[in-house]
Amino acid sequence: MAVIVLAGLVVSCLGGVLAYFAPALALAYRATGQATAVPLPHPTHGASSAATVTGGEAFTVLLLGSDDDQKFANANGGKTIVTQSMILVRVDPVTRHAVMLSIPRDLWIQLPNGAYGKADQASEFGGPPGSVAAVEQAFDIKIDAWVWVGLTGLIRLIDYMGGVDVVTSQPVMDDYYPADIDSKDPYAYERVAVLPGPQHLNGHDALQYVRSRHGDLQGDFGRSERQQQVLMALKAKARYIKPEDLPNLASTFNGELQTSMSLTQIRNLLPLAQAFDNPNQIQHVILLPPYTASKTIDGQDALVGNWSLILPLVHQYFGYA
Amino acid sequence: MTRRLSAGRIVVLIVFLLADALVGLGVYRYLGAHTGARLFQPQKPTDPGQQHHSGPIAELPGTLYLASEGAIYRLHHGDFSLVLPAGGWTQPAVTPDGRSLIVVKRQFAFSDLYLVSSGGQIQAQLTNDASKRYEFNDWAFYPRVTPDGSMLFFDWDRPKDLQATYNVTLKVWSMPLGNPNAARRWTTPTAYTGGDVQPLPLSSTQLVYTRYLRDQQGNVHSELWLTTRPDLTGLLPGHPLTTPEDDCGQAALAPDGKRLAMICTNGGQTTSLEVATFNGTALGPPLTLVGDLQAAEPAWAPDGSGLVFLAPGNLAGDFQLFWIRVPARLPSATSSTPSGTTRARPTPSPSAPPAPVQLTTNLDFDATSPIAWHA
Repeated sequence: MAVIVLAGLVVSCLGGVLAYFAPALALAYRATGQATAVPLPHPTHGASSAATVTGGEAFTVLLLGSDDDQKFANANGGKTIVTQSMILVRVDPVTRHAVMLSIPRDLWIQLPNGAYGKADQASEFGGPPGSVAAVEQAFDIKIDAWVWVGLTGLIRLIDYMGGVDVVTSQPVMDDYYPADIDSKDPYAYERVAVLPGPQHLNGHDALQYVRSRHGDLQGDFGRSERQQQVLMALKAKARYIKPEDLPNLASTFNGELQTSMSLTQIRNLLPLAQAFDNPNQIQHVILLPPYTASKTIDGQDALVGNWSLILPLVHQYFGYA
Repeated sequence: MTRRLSAGRIVVLIVFLLADALVGLGVYRYLGAHTGARLFQPQKPTDPGQQHHSGPIAELPGTLYLASEGAIYRLHHGDFSLVLPAGGWTQPAVTPDGRSLIVVKRQFAFSDLYLVSSGGQIQAQLTNDASKRYEFNDWAFYPRVTPDGSMLFFDWDRPKDLQATYNVTLKVWSMPLGNPNAARRWTTPTAYTGGDVQPLPLSSTQLVYTRYLRDQQGNVHSELWLTTRPDLTGLLPGHPLTTPEDDCGQAALAPDGKRLAMICTNGGQTTSLEVATFNGTALGPPLTLVGDLQAAEPAWAPDGSGLVFLAPGNLAGDFQLFWIRVPARLPSATSSTPSGTTRARPTPSPSAPPAPVQLTTNLDFDATSPIAWHA
């Protein structure tokens, strides 16, 4: 009789645990391991896979951020998502050193269909794997994994973590900031005024800070710098997240997170993330002039890369394909 | 062959199943109650348990006004009370007689300045920045009254740059307190920097403000700028008090008028709270009181003995109120420091600087809102 009672209690406990973590398990099933390769017209190496992210050897991850609305619906009625943020991260677990390189969204590169266009358009060809393929080819590097977060996912994540602390470098004023998150009109504008100095930003304000670019003469470069600031602030906050937060985080993302990494790989990386607690361990790189130059191509404002400068820089930090 | 359960056994079975269900539910709720996110929930200053404080916070002289989540709170001898309820209120400035506040009310696409009694009664709307035409809405921020109480300095994004509508910059303006129609622009900011902010009127004709500028690489920096006359042409009268590399702002003048506190970032993600002597035209070598923190919005005690400031003070990173005593002797200006052209690097205190004292722990003050402090 005692055995039956004990077994019943154990089963009940397990049932409670299982019910609690069910949303996280569902997210893990839906969002991880999405490594669909996109063929390249002139492949320089094999298509990417998540196989080499182990937490033991140096690896490269492409972080992608974009909206997921229907604003850019293509002729076939499908979504044509452009990537608003692309950050390459190289992590060396042995030396405990990381490099973050922001790829300008207007950088003119070869897209997976063989034509040339802005880097942010690469995701039109198969989603994040399309971006991975185009970046690998342009920079002649090997990307081991990618992580995509939607804009509303970023807002919800920051709010769930209680906001982030950032020192905003200047007043970020923008009268034409896209109000496509809260508005039914995807082309609506709103006025943004993020005041300067140290402050605690909620998700909505943090997104305004990293996404605004009209008032910044450095345009996408200034925005890239702000994105890296908020990413670092998020990383600092993430150390307080416990396993018990996973179900709530899963609900928070609600389809706004995808990655090519498997659950096992993510689990291996978690202790590594904790080890990066010193800002000096992380180096930030932005492809300002002379690495890039503005040019109008096919009526579009684009950035042309000075590849003889870019490639040595990138290979120095990210290795070769 | 079936065996019929006795009533007693059925009761035992039901109790057993209920106990199992309760255990499962208990485990579920236990896990839910132990998330890291529970750390990140600040309280309001007037919530039970937060309203009355003893200890160092109760020893602060006079009355402080602080903004938190769109509301304005009064802090007097350790007691918090509500002045203006949540509604976009921020950046209170107190008039020299202490009877009124000038407060910013921020809404979706614009903000306005209001004259409010110290008890929270709205007395007048000083700007009218709402417009039915989206592009004609205006921002007004950072009100500050002159020491004689006659003029109000503040930030406005008027006039608009109609030739380059992406160039939205804040400019410093002044207006007589009783005559909003006589507003006058004081600065012409550098384009695409966000503008000139945080006016600190030393008198009705002398102004310190934070000026944003770009270096040759296009990076934006800030410097404290001293001027004595309005600039409508961009000729930039006056001179800098700090260098662009120091990225200083948020100036606060001591009641004796001879010391200036400021926040400097050196372009990084931490700040230092520095104090320097001020002779009316130039700063002496600054003394770093607090470094490697995200300190913000220093405000002098009415007796000049120290400063309060805001900085992250709990795991959530919410900004809390801190106090630090300012050493009686500050590094003095040297003759080799050209007046107003450069600033010596911060110097260590002759003795160890006093340690800051954290006064609150679980509140959430607005770190972009200056603290008003009246005797």
